[in-house]
Amino acid sequence: MLKASIDIDLLRDSITALSVIVSEVRLKIKPDGISVKAVDAANVAMVIFDLKAGAFDSYTAEETEVGIDLVKLNDILGIVEKKTLVDMELDMTAQKLHLNFGGLSYTLSLLDPSTIRSEPRVPQLDLPARVVLNGQDLKRAVKAAEKISDHMTLGVAGDIFFMEAKGDTDQVRLEMGTDQLIDLKSGEANSLFSLDYLLDIIKSAGKANEVTLSIGCDFPILIEFDVAPNACHVTFLLAPRIESD
Amino acid sequence: MPAEGLCMRCKGKGLCGRPYCPTLERFKNNNRLTKALSNKTTVFGPSPPSVFVGSYNYPSLSAGPLIPPSIDLPELEFSEASEILREKVIKNPGFMEDSRLWHDLQMQDVISMRTALVRANSTFKPGDAKTDNPLLMKAQELALSAKPIDTEAWFKKPIISDLKFDSMMMPMGPSGQVKNFNITENPKVPNAVDRIIYDTDALAKDAIVELYQGSVSNEQMTRLMSIGLLGRDRKLVPTRWSITAIDDMTGKETIKRIKDYPHIREITVLTGEIFGNHFEILLLPGSFSYELLEIWQPHSVWNGEKTYIGQDHEDFYGKKEYSNLSGGYYAARLPVLEYLDSIKKQAFIFAIREIRPSYWAPLGVWVVREAARAAIMNPKKMFETKEEALADMSARLYTPRPDWEIETKLLYNQAVQMRIDSYYD
Repeated sequence: MLKASIDIDLLRDSITALSVIVSEVRLKIKPDGISVKAVDAANVAMVIFDLKAGAFDSYTAEETEVGIDLVKLNDILGIVEKKTLVDMELDMTAQKLHLNFGGLSYTLSLLDPSTIRSEPRVPQLDLPARVVLNGQDLKRAVKAAEKISDHMTLGVAGDIFFMEAKGDTDQVRLEMGTDQLIDLKSGEANSLFSLDYLLDIIKSAGKANEVTLSIGCDFPILIEFDVAPNACHVTFLLAPRIESD
Repeated sequence: MPAEGLCMRCKGKGLCGRPYCPTLERFKNNNRLTKALSNKTTVFGPSPPSVFVGSYNYPSLSAGPLIPPSIDLPELEFSEASEILREKVIKNPGFMEDSRLWHDLQMQDVISMRTALVRANSTFKPGDAKTDNPLLMKAQELALSAKPIDTEAWFKKPIISDLKFDSMMMPMGPSGQVKNFNITENPKVPNAVDRIIYDTDALAKDAIVELYQGSVSNEQMTRLMSIGLLGRDRKLVPTRWSITAIDDMTGKETIKRIKDYPHIREITVLTGEIFGNHFEILLLPGSFSYELLEIWQPHSVWNGEKTYIGQDHEDFYGKKEYSNLSGGYYAARLPVLEYLDSIKKQAFIFAIREIRPSYWAPLGVWVVREAARAAIMNPKKMFETKEEALADMSARLYTPRPDWEIETKLLYNQAVQMRIDSYYD
């Protein structure tokens, strides 16, 4: 059971963050909020998504699990005007999600959760370095790397956080010291990542005021941020590329 | 010759602005066969069956059946070694349309065989597929058949002797505008074909998938698609477009299945060659992705003095835009996908197609498909490491390894993308 209403901008941003990795998800609905854990089909990226009950204007729910087609949902949410309140109600017997906003009512068919990949385990990672920076700065670096390569290195050296990309002939490097960062926990860190994934991730991470990166050496990266403070928290886990000789 | 590299990208499409292609023009006077056919105003013979829809002047389309005037024309210029071929064609005219059977022929044989077919053209518009145009309906009936069909055509004027070469299509011979033509026997229609052509609710894409699963040949799917017998909104589609559409759609369908299979265990190398198209294919354990390098050696068809290397690839999520390597990209992909599907494994496919000077005239994109298929059919080699496999492959290539290695984009990235499940304890 679920009956809730939420501001469209928050809902839209949350769903966008989730759509980065997967097009169909199993939503875990609980009295304290909605959560998702999912990996992409290639097993390279994972998203851990947490939309708290407090994010909603009103929220009542009993524990259940439903399958949602995010592409369809995104499409529908795309036409809603800003600052509208969206009412959601789950009809478990008919397997439908009703969405009401600005006089329009949409009925979205649910997917059978058993047809969607089950929730993955989250690996326990020991990541020595931690960097907190503005989402815009991360976005700028990823966009710069995109111009010359299809992968980029993220790392920490001393108290400098660096991002580096090498193309066939050109390279780009961006360094940020503690004065430009919000926070830095130094540690040995240097890992290479696919820009295909990072470009998708920064679509939502780029809007956040604070993005926390946890990095290791040739190890996965954790990218954490709030879509909205105390309301929606998203963590991406991205497996690295390892340079072979 | 036009600017460096332009011919490689154009392959006779006319990008240099000349009224004719200097490369293709070279082959024109190479063949005496067609002269024997000129001045005729009627032909009768077993169509393999074959139909042709031209893209020149689109949306005005020149289309119709291909008919061998008489199989035992003494002028059929098969190479000396190919007396057997002549017998094969006489015994089974369908041989002339089935590229899977041509691996052992000489290039001259293929050219002689295909240019012995007369194109009986009429002019259509794409939308004519929805009308009751009698000439088109007869051509459609012919396209339905899986076996050769005796066909007779009368022409408005004597047949024009000609020779046309194309990067996508098989070589073409003489043609004329038809007054009328008739099929003199009943087409033999496979069940899968019979079912799908009357289904006007199925999209062309779904129709192709169904035909593919019903083991209908690539050539017949191309015929059905180009002559406007598939899909909801039926249209005539130029043959050169249909060929790639079929390669791509059947490939995509196979990829969908492959993505669910476990990764291949052994590092595998496949090698094969027909008509100077040499394939080295490397299968590496990993998620599905595909990279193709095309190496045009100096003096291979289209190319000048320098080696030209083209590259394209797709990752697990596929490809949105049309390949810069055009139809060859999709044609080379298909046999490898079919192989992976048959062993129920997924892999990263790295393929090199080296086009050697012995490929002196373009025979059509089927050469790429069949050369890749030849590699699949040959004995496979397994290796312990990627490096050993690459060393083995490069030993058979004429182009030095550093020259092509620098052009690869996926080869050194793909194998090193880690997966999240590698980090569970």
